[in-house]
Amino acid sequence: MSVKMEASAGGMDHNKLLAIGLIGALICIYLVYLNTLMSTQVFAFFGGLAAVIALWWGTDSIKKLCSYGLGTGVPSAGMIALGSGVVAMLFATKLAVISPLLVPIGCVVVAAILGAILGFISDKVLNMNIPVMTRMIAELTVVGSLTMLGFTAMVAGTFSFGSLILGSISVMGLAIPSYAASVIGGCVIATIFMLGAIAIQHPFNACLGPNESWDRTQMCALECGFLSMITVAIMSIVFLSFIAVVISFVVSIILWGWSYSELIKLSKRDAFAWLDAKPIREVGGEQ
Amino acid sequence: MSALGGGAAGGEGINPVASVIALVIVLASVGIVFILYPAALIPLIGVIIGGVLISFGVHFVPVGGAPAAMGQAPGIATGVAMLAAGGGLAGLFGGAWAAGHGLWIALGAGAMGGGVLMAITCLMVNVVYVFEMGIPAASGKVDKDPITGDTYPAYRSQGTEGHGLPFISYVGGVLGGILAGTGGTLIYLQLLAVYQGAFASWVGITPEGVATLAVSLAGIFAVGMFLVAAVLTAYNITGTIEGPHDPKFKRWPRAVIGSSAACAACGLVAILLVVI
Amino acid sequence: MENLLFGIGISALAGALATVAGAAEDTESDIGSQGDPNSQVQLAPQMGYIHRIYNKAISGEPPAYGLWVALAAGIAWALMAIQYNAILALIVGSSVAVFVQGVYATTAYLGRTASLAKFEQPVYIDVLKSVTTVTMAHAFVAVFTTVTMCFLMIEALGHPFPLPLMGIVWGIALGAAGSATGNPFYGKERQYQNYPFGAGLPISASGDIVRYAEAGQRSSLDNGWFTSKGAGPASGICFGLIVFFELWRTVLFEPLVAGWGGVIAGAVLIIVFMVIDRFVETWARKTYGPYTKETEEEATT
Repeated sequence: MSVKMEASAGGMDHNKLLAIGLIGALICIYLVYLNTLMSTQVFAFFGGLAAVIALWWGTDSIKKLCSYGLGTGVPSAGMIALGSGVVAMLFATKLAVISPLLVPIGCVVVAAILGAILGFISDKVLNMNIPVMTRMIAELTVVGSLTMLGFTAMVAGTFSFGSLILGSISVMGLAIPSYAASVIGGCVIATIFMLGAIAIQHPFNACLGPNESWDRTQMCALECGFLSMITVAIMSIVFLSFIAVVISFVVSIILWGWSYSELIKLSKRDAFAWLDAKPIREVGGEQ
Repeated sequence: MSALGGGAAGGEGINPVASVIALVIVLASVGIVFILYPAALIPLIGVIIGGVLISFGVHFVPVGGAPAAMGQAPGIATGVAMLAAGGGLAGLFGGAWAAGHGLWIALGAGAMGGGVLMAITCLMVNVVYVFEMGIPAASGKVDKDPITGDTYPAYRSQGTEGHGLPFISYVGGVLGGILAGTGGTLIYLQLLAVYQGAFASWVGITPEGVATLAVSLAGIFAVGMFLVAAVLTAYNITGTIEGPHDPKFKRWPRAVIGSSAACAACGLVAILLVVI
Repeated sequence: MENLLFGIGISALAGALATVAGAAEDTESDIGSQGDPNSQVQLAPQMGYIHRIYNKAISGEPPAYGLWVALAAGIAWALMAIQYNAILALIVGSSVAVFVQGVYATTAYLGRTASLAKFEQPVYIDVLKSVTTVTMAHAFVAVFTTVTMCFLMIEALGHPFPLPLMGIVWGIALGAAGSATGNPFYGKERQYQNYPFGAGLPISASGDIVRYAEAGQRSSLDNGWFTSKGAGPASGICFGLIVFFELWRTVLFEPLVAGWGGVIAGAVLIIVFMVIDRFVETWARKTYGPYTKETEEEATT
């Protein structure tokens, strides 16, 4: 006996979601580049917003993919998304040696190609014969890489490889450059990887069921993204100035609080009953 | 990880056209690296072999999913990809620690790391079933254990398809842990070699800096590629498998072909990172 | 010699931390009902059995614990990089990770239960309020001990990985070991307490979980007591043995046989555990006997 996975039919058309998600995320990541142009660090939180928009899009992709019955659960789709996304994203940050503006768009292109290969392998080589698999896994890889790029940009204020490998620690008041205290050297990438992997699959996994509704699932996606932004803001204390960290943190907390209360309202709307300390309702449905 | 969902849509048998295309992807990746960065040719082949080992090894691991958690099916009550990831990453831990001793010792350490984790986990699963739940092990797919000759039909509870970890499943689990640990460590060591070679020629970098960056990059790439290979194999298995004696085990060729192509593509991107 | 003793001592300490982590992890996942047994909690309303059990459908335990431990490790790493005291950094990191875990748990319960409205399963807000903090507490124990163990491996034993990467590795391993060992005990023994002991669950009985407990209605909180009697210590021993033997065989034997000593020790350990498992299996067959009379065609060993 297994639980039937059903996805709701309502909500925005997936192609429209894709367009909003992709363009929105790219714009927000490019806004992080203002940091470099204006020699400041306060625009780092746009990276987090980019990741949240990407997660918002990716939730619908996972929903479309997993509605076909993969045999495995929803979390593995998140794992493959981030597993391939991290490869594409780290390669893309190296494109900064050619031009930093190439990084976000290069990330999307490389992730799309890599994801298409993986989707082709899953659909045709593994004989799963799911119609949307190639496209959805390509989309998920793009989402995974954009999520990682966004959070990395939020934690470091930049997305260029050269800046990601060199940090600084203060020894007796002096700032000494250190490779171990950088985003890649200290492998903060690993934490961002897991944050993305759980955040991408949680909204659909947590909201699935016969009464799954599109707006509640998408609000859960926003909430997971903003929650991850809070933790990334805390970690950015190593790399960003104090004022930038405070801005990131305050923005994340306000947005998370809003999305969480909205999620509770939507859950109250959808639930059969909202009871406090009441006994089990026997529906007389045994046997 | 709960095995939710309707019936899996996977079909049996190999798709010949797609398999040829997958092999073309492998050869193309090797060719591109050969032209652009010949020093990384052997490492890329090592990465592909690592992916093959991971994928083949994951087929051995006995996974029962949600029914196993209720004593309705034999196997371990966790998801395929993540149980394999647990074993493989523990192997990666051991292998990375022994990286200074050379390739073969590090691979052995990785293999043993994964094998010891699976051996202890499978033993404790049986301990819980036998001593805490009072249920002996019985397979659902075969009536007689291929290794020990134990008979199973009389030892299956009524209404179930077997439970616990019969000895063939135990051996499968250990073998799976060994192979997955070796594969993950191999990917890590090959990428480590590439990055250490490439970063050492950067202006102004210290040896500690080279070591730190190479370890971190190779490590996160290895984790990512391991998860890709394990999830692809989980798709191939469609959720649950009892071990090497399960008929589903015969599906391994197409997962191996698929993983080799996936790791070739990911490995190519990881190596091109030092080319540009 | 002192280096060796120090290494073995740290291995033992890490093994002890891992044992506590494994036990706490399994207790937490049973109180919150996570992982494969949770499919029954999800299924029960569809079969007409309304319940008051916490439905924490985050993902499996391995990826979830991979996140909590990696997150604690990442934040601890960040605080240590700005010269915070190491122990304070580990505690703050674990606290933030547990806060995130609590939020994920609440959204999972609300999401799944609200989506079961068709089967008339209500959202019980008092379950949310009472159980969430208890799971967070147990998760804190599990996460803190694991991330401390990772920290010891890097600082005291000299492993090359940075702390967040180590966090992923051991978080996923913790989830895998605890989930494998603890899920059947919770799934069969606790959720289906009213079915006969000593046999698997018939497939026809799926969904008929225990909803009325020893006194009143079953609350997930009671699972903590139950787990600590059986699967909790078993998971703890499992993960503790894994970590201890992994470290001990490397620290003690790797310098021998030109580096191959650790590998040989690992192979010997695997064979020892295989023999123990075979003994457990045959003991069960002999002591419990078959469920039905064996027919003549099957040769008994």
